[in-house]
Amino acid sequence: MKSLICAVASAAIVLGLSATAASAQSYPYRDITNVVVWGAGGGTDTINRMIMAEMEKHLPVSISVTNVTGGVAGSNGMVYAMNQPDDGYTLAGISESNVTAAVQGGWGERFDVWYPFIVGGSPDLISVPASSPYTSLKELVDAAKAAPGTIPAGASGAGSIHHLNLLALEKGAGATFKFIPYKGSAPAQEAALAGEVQLVVTSLAEQAPLIEGGKLRPLAMLTPESAEIAGQTVESAFTMYDGLDAYLPLKQAIGFAVAASAPDDVKQVLTNAFQEAMKSDVVAEWAKMNHYDIGGQSGAEASELFARLESSFAWTLADLGQTTVDPASLGIPKP
Amino acid sequence: MDYFVAQLAGFWGAFTGLVLDPVTYLYMLSAMILGIVFGALPGLTATLAVTILTGFFGNKVPIDYALIALLGAYVGAIYGGSYPSILLNIPGTAASAATAMDGHPLARQGRGGEALGLTTTASLIGTLVGTAALLVFVWLLLAISSNIASPEKALLALFGILLSGTLMSEDLAIKGWISGLIGLAMAMVGLDPLLSEPRYTFDWSYLLSGFQVVPVLMGAFAVPQIIEGLRTARPGEMLALTGRILPHGRTILRHLPTITRSGVIGTGVGALPGVGEDVAGWVSYGVGKSVGRDGANYGKGSVEGLLCSETANNACIGGALIPLLVLGIPGSPPAAALLGALKINNVIPGPTIDPAIIMRVVAIMVLASITMFAVGLLTARLFVRILKVPPVAFLPVVMVLTTIGSFSVGGGINDLYLMLGVGAVATLMNAMKYPIAPLVIGVILGGLFDETFRRSMLLSDGDPTIFLTRPMAALFLVLNVALILSQVPALQRLLTRRGRVLS
Repeated sequence: MKSLICAVASAAIVLGLSATAASAQSYPYRDITNVVVWGAGGGTDTINRMIMAEMEKHLPVSISVTNVTGGVAGSNGMVYAMNQPDDGYTLAGISESNVTAAVQGGWGERFDVWYPFIVGGSPDLISVPASSPYTSLKELVDAAKAAPGTIPAGASGAGSIHHLNLLALEKGAGATFKFIPYKGSAPAQEAALAGEVQLVVTSLAEQAPLIEGGKLRPLAMLTPESAEIAGQTVESAFTMYDGLDAYLPLKQAIGFAVAASAPDDVKQVLTNAFQEAMKSDVVAEWAKMNHYDIGGQSGAEASELFARLESSFAWTLADLGQTTVDPASLGIPKP
Repeated sequence: MDYFVAQLAGFWGAFTGLVLDPVTYLYMLSAMILGIVFGALPGLTATLAVTILTGFFGNKVPIDYALIALLGAYVGAIYGGSYPSILLNIPGTAASAATAMDGHPLARQGRGGEALGLTTTASLIGTLVGTAALLVFVWLLLAISSNIASPEKALLALFGILLSGTLMSEDLAIKGWISGLIGLAMAMVGLDPLLSEPRYTFDWSYLLSGFQVVPVLMGAFAVPQIIEGLRTARPGEMLALTGRILPHGRTILRHLPTITRSGVIGTGVGALPGVGEDVAGWVSYGVGKSVGRDGANYGKGSVEGLLCSETANNACIGGALIPLLVLGIPGSPPAAALLGALKINNVIPGPTIDPAIIMRVVAIMVLASITMFAVGLLTARLFVRILKVPPVAFLPVVMVLTTIGSFSVGGGINDLYLMLGVGAVATLMNAMKYPIAPLVIGVILGGLFDETFRRSMLLSDGDPTIFLTRPMAALFLVLNVALILSQVPALQRLLTRRGRVLS
């Protein structure tokens, strides 16, 4: 029995119940909690843990990162964080995929209830399996034009950033694929390797190991910039199709947020710590290693970016008939 | 040859990384002790140990450390079950049921210490055999599995549910299938995986994210066991532990053929979906009885019989991890809990699984077996004392741990209602001799089946022949049909006769 109690006690210690002495009564005087709304080990989680560790160096208190997952588009975690006092002691670790929570019925708030900070995101690209007959985006698009809606294309679930990128590419290049949804980028890529889908749209960070391992052949970046990976240059699709800039780029925006109703001094303290952290070598090095683009936006700039994503995501989903709440009723403007 | 050298180099890298990290030992030792305690206390099982730790560590600590705790507890619990089997003639876990057959007679003859030492050594070798198989076969299977697409996955998931239903049933296979299908139906609740349409959610937002794996695991595996344990709690007559524990090297050498055979059998049984250490122990014991030199003396205190079951049940662990890592299909009930832990960490088993995780698992298994051996030999006398704790004292504590574990993963009160609901259903099912493991496997594989089946239909534009025209899919379809046909009454008689030998 004693051993059992010992085990429980050590579990409690490992869970990291740490406390820091309170300093002056100005924000922040006690530890901050960051509630990541996506699962541990995922992109949003990893980025939040990294940036919080950096921000701690510029704050007198610790930041503990927890995960509250589930719901629709991360709504459980957002509801939880929003239900806490708006005193800046609860942050929410979020990403662009959270902007659909309202139109998908997860909760009743628009995204402007948040005051966001954007660490960055990884650009999307279109790739085919190494055994594919298509060696360029043009060949692939031509084949899709010849037989519309027959070439299976994999991406994570309807309404994800990758799905939206695929749709935008279809519109911009005038081709139609057969969209096959997956539960995430990893299974979509796995399906491409197994030959189940003939192309896949995911982020460079997610594809990097497979491109480097020679299993996927990158065709084009879905951003205006080209990218370097595994000793080759992946050209931008923008240089191949003129119409693309009307729909793209739609880029990942991963970071965290505090309630928009939080006091200004709280926002200022967080912004300062965030800006300092973003300047660090750790963040730069991490971004380079993991094929992320650094964002660094906060305040009005970040809010505007999220508003654009919200509008674009919400109305695309509405067009697909996959919203449970009409975006117009929430006051989300058309893109 | 290069392949093996590369494998060994990769393993060595992962192993040294693990051994040199001091934090490893904090997790390993506490998990090992917890595992052995759970295994040794009758009524608490390996599945329960892994499930509870999944609740505590699943998404709280980095997956690298969570794996140490989960695998350490798994190995410890399978081993710990042998203590009461030998000394009380009550198997600590179902996995050690066959151990009692010869272990207890040995203890009666005053050879309890020797028996414990032998099971400790057999468990060490068994775990290592299973781990070696894991290291070799996982890559082989991964190479094949990269050709496995949605249609094959759907049929494999179905096969996993049906097979565990068939093998786990005490009487009728159909009871196992019913249990599996209930699990499958439960997996349908929530937003559907392809189009995000809500299904069976009754406008209740909690149900949108579906039934969470951990509360279901707790409800299905822990609650009925605690109730059952309290209902049948009875003090056993404990034999004293006498004699030296460390076995003679010569004894081990003499029985090496038995140990090797049992290790291979255990690994093979482990690799079957949903069939766990208990079956492994019995199969190995059954085989040993019919082919072993000492077969006639099994059940009367045969060292060989003891080694058969104890090697096989530990070898089963490595085997169970093979389909888990390659296909996301748990090879045993504790592996189902492990899959839950991987899932809440966003680790998706399959061709794109990070090879570092596989190496890490192999390294942890090796360290866990060594730790188990050391802890077992050094502190067996100490551990044996916990057998004196009456179940009425420890089972309520376990219930509290179970509840905390369910709550801590999602952090919602609804998860507790779910756990209690599943617990109530599982208790009733237990009472009616419906196996519970297929239900859990159904919940876990149901999502996979649903998603891959519908995606196959999407890919083929609704043409079901996609399951026939692909060679691998056709093979799996035949396996499924054969499995169902094998249970029709005419053929069933033959099978139940064989099943009785096993159970």
